[in-house]
Parts: sequence; C-alpha cells; structure tokens
Amino acid sequence: MKLSNNYKRFVFIPSILSLLFLTSCWSTNEIEDLGLILGVAVDLEEEKGQEGENVITLTNQLATSNSSNAGIEGQGTQQNAYKNVSETGSSLMEATRNSLLEIEEILLAHHVKVLVIGEELASTTSLQQTLDYFIREHEIRQSCQIFIAKERASHILETSEPSVVPSMKLAQMTKAHDRNSKILMPIHLSKLNRKIQSDASFLLQNVISDQGEMKFDGASVFDGKTKKLQGLLNKEEVEGVNWITGEGKGGLVKSYVEKKSTPIIYEILSMNSNIQPRVNGNDISFDVEIESEGRIGEQKEATSIDPSSNETLIKVEENIEEEVQKLVKSVSEKTQQEYQVDVLGFGESLRIEYPKVWEKVKKDWDKTFSEVPIQFNVNVTIKDYGTLGNK
Amino acid sequence: MISLQAKNQLTASQTAVILTNYTLAVGILTLPRAAAQEVQTPDIWITVLLGGCVSLVAGVIHVKLSQQYPGKNFYEYSQNLVGKVLGSLLSIFVIVYFLTLSAFEARTVAEVAGFFLLDGTPTWAILMPFMAIGLYLINSGINPIARLFEIIFPLTIILFLLVIFMSVGIFELNNLRPVLGSGIMPVLKGIKTTALAFTAAEIMVVLVAFMEKPEKAIKVVLVGVGIPTLFYLITVVMVVGGLSIEVAQTYTWPTISLIQSFEITGLIFERFESFLLIIWIMQIFATFTISFYAASLGLSHLFKRETKPMIYLLIPFIYIVAMMPKNINELFKLGDILGYFAYILFGLFPLLLLIGSWVKEGRHETKQ
Repeated sequence: MKLSNNYKRFVFIPSILSLLFLTSCWSTNEIEDLGLILGVAVDLEEEKGQEGENVITLTNQLATSNSSNAGIEGQGTQQNAYKNVSETGSSLMEATRNSLLEIEEILLAHHVKVLVIGEELASTTSLQQTLDYFIREHEIRQSCQIFIAKERASHILETSEPSVVPSMKLAQMTKAHDRNSKILMPIHLSKLNRKIQSDASFLLQNVISDQGEMKFDGASVFDGKTKKLQGLLNKEEVEGVNWITGEGKGGLVKSYVEKKSTPIIYEILSMNSNIQPRVNGNDISFDVEIESEGRIGEQKEATSIDPSSNETLIKVEENIEEEVQKLVKSVSEKTQQEYQVDVLGFGESLRIEYPKVWEKVKKDWDKTFSEVPIQFNVNVTIKDYGTLGNK
Repeated sequence: MISLQAKNQLTASQTAVILTNYTLAVGILTLPRAAAQEVQTPDIWITVLLGGCVSLVAGVIHVKLSQQYPGKNFYEYSQNLVGKVLGSLLSIFVIVYFLTLSAFEARTVAEVAGFFLLDGTPTWAILMPFMAIGLYLINSGINPIARLFEIIFPLTIILFLLVIFMSVGIFELNNLRPVLGSGIMPVLKGIKTTALAFTAAEIMVVLVAFMEKPEKAIKVVLVGVGIPTLFYLITVVMVVGGLSIEVAQTYTWPTISLIQSFEITGLIFERFESFLLIIWIMQIFATFTISFYAASLGLSHLFKRETKPMIYLLIPFIYIVAMMPKNINELFKLGDILGYFAYILFGLFPLLLLIGSWVKEGRHETKQ
C-alpha cells in the first residue's frame, strides 16, 4: 500500500509539473500580428551611402486583412488589399530589418511569391550578390519567381485597383506561358541559382508598368560571367527563344496563303525542338530541329481559302515555317552578334552530347558561341481547322 | 550479466527493419551535397549504388563473424577471439563509436529542427526531450525498439516517396546527363563519401545475437542495406534532376531546398518540407535509439552489469558529446570523423577477426 502510494506520488508530481512545460506554442504569434510578405522589389538608389557603398531600397509587399476577402463588397473595401513597405540599407537584410522601424507587424517571408529586381540594380550589380540573401534565408522558398522591372521595381508592385494584390497577380500571370509564346517559361529561384552556379548566361522575364498596371514585355539578357544585365529582347524575340528552346507550349503564328492576302492565324498546340550539336575537329556547329503541331485558329475572310484541300494546307504550313524561321533567326543572330552570349541552351546540348569537347570550350563558351553556325529546320503540321471547315 | 530471454529475440524481418531504419539517417538531407562536392559530375547516383555495395560487403563480413558465435554479440566474442585485454579495448572503441554516433544524430536533429521548424528554441531544449523519449524507449530492451521501428518504417516509405516524387514537376533529365561524361574516375573518387552515409552494417555485430534464426542474417543484410540504397538513390536522382549538380553542392540541406523549390496547388497542402522533416526526424530518432542501445549493451557486458543503469549512465555523456561541436562545420566534421573511425573499426577489424577465427577453427580441426 505504501509502495503504491509512493508510486502514485512519483507519477503524480511529475505529471503536474510537466503541465507547466506542455502549454504548447510558447512563441506563437496571432495571424493578425503577422506581416506576410508576398512580393519583394529591389531597387538601386542613385545616391551613395556614407562610405560610398551602394544604397538599396527594398520594398516588401505585405498582405493586409483585406487581402483574403478582396472583391467582397462592403464597408472598408476602399482600403487596399496590400501594403508596401520600403526601406533602404546597404544590404538587403539590413533594409528588411530597417523596415521594422516603421511597421507593427512581425515580418514573415514564407509566402514570398515574386521577386522583382530593378533594371538599374541588375545592370550594375551581379545578380549573384543580389540573390544571395534570398537563397540563404531559409524562410524564403526557392519556388518564388524572379522578374526584371524596366525602370523602378517598386512601381510594379503597385496598382490602382484596391482589391488586387500585385504580387499574386504577377505570380499568376506567368501561367499564361502555356498559351502565349511571348512569355518566358517561369523561372524560380533554385532554377536561376543553377544558371548562376554554372556560370551560364540566362534570360529573365521583363515587366513594365504601363499606366500604373504591370505588363510583360520581353526579356533581359544576363551575361553568365558578370551576372549583370547586358541587353534586352523584345516580345517577338522571346517568341523566337521559346521556339528554339522548345519550352513554349502554345501561342500563335500569323500566316498567309499568298503573300499580302488576308492573314490566317495558326494556333500552336505543341512546340518541340531538338538542338543537335555537330563537332568536326575543332569546328562546332548546331542543327536545330523544330517541330510543331497546331490548327487554324482564325481566318479573316472565311471564303479566302479552302482548308479541306491538302494543297492549301501545305502552302499555309510552308508560310508558317518561313515565319518561324524569321523569328528564330532574328533572336539567334541578336544573341550571337549583338550580345555574344548563349541564352538559348546550345551549350547545354553540347555538354550532354560531347562532354569532352565541352570541357575544353566551356570557359569561353559565350565567345565561342558567337561564331558558331546554326542551321534551323522547321516543320509545321496543321492538324485541323476547328469547327469551321468546308466553305 | 544479462541473459538472453525468449522475449528478447527478433524475427528476421524485424532485424531487417531495424537495419534499414538505422542506415537511413542524416544522409537523406546531406548526402546529395557531400557526394556532389566530391564527384562534381551528374553521375553521383552510380557512386551511391557502389557505396551501397561496399556497405553490403561490410555487412556480410559482420554477419559471418557473428555467425561463428551463435547467441553472442561482439562484446562477448571479441574477448574469446583476441583475449580479455584486447577484446575489452575493442569493446570500448565500439562503445565510444556508438555513443558518439547517437550524440551526433541528436545534435543534427537539434540543428535542423532549430533552423527550419523551431526558430528561437535553444539547442538544449530540443536535445533533452529527444533524449528523454529515446531513454524511455530503450528502457525495456530491444523488442519495443523493434516494434516502434515497425511502425516508423511503412510511414517513412509512404511519406518519403510521396514527398520526393512531388518534385517530378521540376525534374529535368538533362541535369543527370551525360552519363559518365568525364569517365569513371570521379565516380570512384566519391565512393569514399557515399560509403560514409552507408556505414551502418556495423549494427549487425550486435543484432545477429538477438536473432531467432541467425542463419537468415545474410538475407537481412541484403534487404536492410538494399532498401536504404534505393532510398538514397531516389534522393540523389531527384535532387540532382531537380536542382542540378552545381546547385546541389551549394545548398547546406539540398533535399529540403529541393522540396522548397515547388508548390503544388490544388492539394490540401502546398508545401511538403514539413513532411520530409517529420520522416527525417523519425529516422534520426531510430538511428539515435539503436546506437544508444548498442552502446549501453556494450557497457553492460564490459562491466558485467544490467543494461538499465548503463542507459542512465550514458545519458550525460551523450549530452556532453552532442553539445561539443561549436558550429555547423564542426558538426559535419564530427560526422566525417565518425565515418573514418567506422572504416577502421568496422571495416578493417572485423575482417581481421573473421580471418583470425577461421584460422583458429582450422587449428581446432587439424588437432582433432
């Protein structure tokens, strides 16, 4: 009896004591007190710091309590669904912590969706330096997407519509890549990190602020060695990029049956490309096979062609192929001659097919690339013409 | 001295589960980086396979050795083989190894959980409950351990495969190509590192003695090393395929970074790193408890005392060793040292002992 009493006490006291330690969530924060960062914009300031160092402005876009019920009519919807907090510092982390001087929320970076970098910063500072903080910080997920803003990055994260959160909108907009070949394949942080670590040149999607609203507009070319912005590609050249890399999933090509007749719109259903390197002694060249299937999506004058005749279709296909040839040639010439960087994945195919050759040329690849001959073969097949067939 | 009672026996499948759980440890998160740094080509998956083979050979040696002395574990038969003094010395080395290993595992959990999950929680506050639960588990011997591991094991497989295959969306086959582009040399160079992740078969020197049917031990090693090899293989292939060889080198915990690189909308969960951490912590816990148990078993044989007091005796030592590394570099270094220690202790010595026991046996036979 005594023993069992002792035993009971032995169990009882620790259990009571343990309650003290089992209150759970000691360091809990209420969700209202959290400042969820949804997007980050980074800009370079013109003025230098006290010691001549660069001054960076970091704009954090925070979700407000209105973000979740955006669009619901009622009182208080006049308040914006987001809140931008800008602060300067010589490093990104410093700027983030500096913003704590002016806001009451506890900043939380788990939900950063987009990262917008100003053109000014991208062309003067190595991207590796800028991104170091975002890759190192464990709170920021490697799945966040990266964009380059023409002009100021913080303007991209602003909108006149109160119910829209610009960061979320931007993250969603890249999904249209599937249907429009003027948009680059979305690039997330770990994929970009790969390009940076392997010293490969790369492209990033450009965003502009058009009358206060964001808009995709071409791409920025980054040099793999300096990791700085070196030049721009326009929307049509981005189309060419998507054709060459085969990363595009959908889009349109304008074509004709005869020159100067009414246009026929070709809707891309699939794009595939195969970059085949050829090595002959010291000479490197590339053959690019581009294949696409699609349908006739629109035709200005329904009577102008008869799509049920195969001859007409072949003619249209040839015209489309020519059009695609133009697109891919203009971008490959621009990157080879004007920028002299390989952002189209030619080096990658050489690395895979001829690893020994690649070892020799990889150090100066961008320079070597600028002089290699590239041959494009385009093959387009029109599968059908929608629900409007025989005239 | 403890006696082997009927309830202290393990079936062959239980032993295989224990071996699997023991093998899967820190490497799930760090192996891709360690191997990538060593090999530098996308062929590290071949290295992992070869590392598994090395581990398999070591495991077979351990089993063969243990099978020479049915019902006896390493601590007992080492004295038979090489004499009391040398045998005790060997036992002490093995005990120190298992103790350090359990401390290393505990500290790694504290580091990773502290960084990713419990921001602001001090290391000791993570270490202590972890050790306390381990203590509670091994208090009643090998069977509860085996039963817990049998619960952990299927959970690990399902969750791990689920989480790792979610990354298929960012998987690029080109990251794994070309195969053997720089020849076989870099691959061989990396075996040293991958075999480190597999230094696990040593637990067999303790486990075989617990087996109901020790003759099945070779099969156990095949399964118990085969499954982790497959797991590590999948991990390395998915990490390199998803992140590329260049990036895998730069992340401290590449597997977590891989899981952080994608979000899947539409499912209840968008992010899966916490799942990965859950199974990883369970696996570390498994390795921690079994090596903790092996160390206390060794002590009990050395001092010819019961196992239980030895468990309590070991706790402060494990804590002290766990707190020794000052930063993450020293922690990784400790892991490497442990690996090299294991090479000599469990690679070289058992082979010598096995040859020694064959010679001894041979003499017996000629005498008769």
